[in-house]
Amino acid sequence: MSLQATLRKKWFWYSFLCVVCWGCWAILEKMASTEIPEQTVQFLFTFGALPVAVVLLTARGFKLEKNAKGILCGLGNGVLAGVGNAALAGAYRSGGNTSVITAATAMYPMITVLLAVTILRERLTNLHKLGLVFAAAAFILFSLQ
Amino acid sequence: MAHLSIPSWCWPAALVLLTWGVVGLLQKLSTNYISAESALIWLVVGYIFLLPWLYSGRSVFTYSTRSLAFTLISAVLNTLGAWALLTAMKSGGKASIVVPLTALYPLVVVVCSPAILHESISPLQGVGILCALTSVVLLST
Repeated sequence: MSLQATLRKKWFWYSFLCVVCWGCWAILEKMASTEIPEQTVQFLFTFGALPVAVVLLTARGFKLEKNAKGILCGLGNGVLAGVGNAALAGAYRSGGNTSVITAATAMYPMITVLLAVTILRERLTNLHKLGLVFAAAAFILFSLQ
Repeated sequence: MAHLSIPSWCWPAALVLLTWGVVGLLQKLSTNYISAESALIWLVVGYIFLLPWLYSGRSVFTYSTRSLAFTLISAVLNTLGAWALLTAMKSGGKASIVVPLTALYPLVVVVCSPAILHESISPLQGVGILCALTSVVLLST
């Protein structure tokens, strides 16, 4: 697909919006965490996320699937994502370089891939293996002072 | 001469990697049973479960309006970003392209932080960030 054709696709612009939103989220969280402790950042974060969830729920006519496994995984996601976000605010609060911390924590797919291999018995592709090598290199470089 | 040492931000960052790594797996599992939008709604409900443990007892109004606004806006942007990712996939974007593309969000931080946060990165950190971004793209493929 040519670049021009890609630029005309809706999915590209939604992806771009996602990158901008998440980039700005990280910068704002860093700025907030210089004053607000990590637990309180996540406490307030919930109230910021709530309106988006309400809009989504309204758009769906307040209808949600009633699959217990799906709901349990979704709730687990929220709890773990919340703990992770509080920890991210803690990392930012420690005074480290924001770009380095954001890039280091964005490597979480490394854990997902390793868990998918051990729990879901998925196969590690060559690209994944190369990704793990780059992740290891990044960690070593971040530890060099 | 450069030497290896563990920076103080490493431990909370390790917790982020671990929790969000499991989230990645649970996301995959949850969308096997419910729609991605429902999963996002339940995720926010999961945030609510944490509130009793997160409440410090101190009124949030003791913090500056600026910091409070930054936190709330950051949450809106984070959730909006997740919605945009889901919509990109619903609009015909292949997960194998959309997920690695959106994983490049640290680039926004790298580009904006010198101007906004007045932070600079050393050449060593720059190479590290490049390795991290390459790793994220490869792992998300």
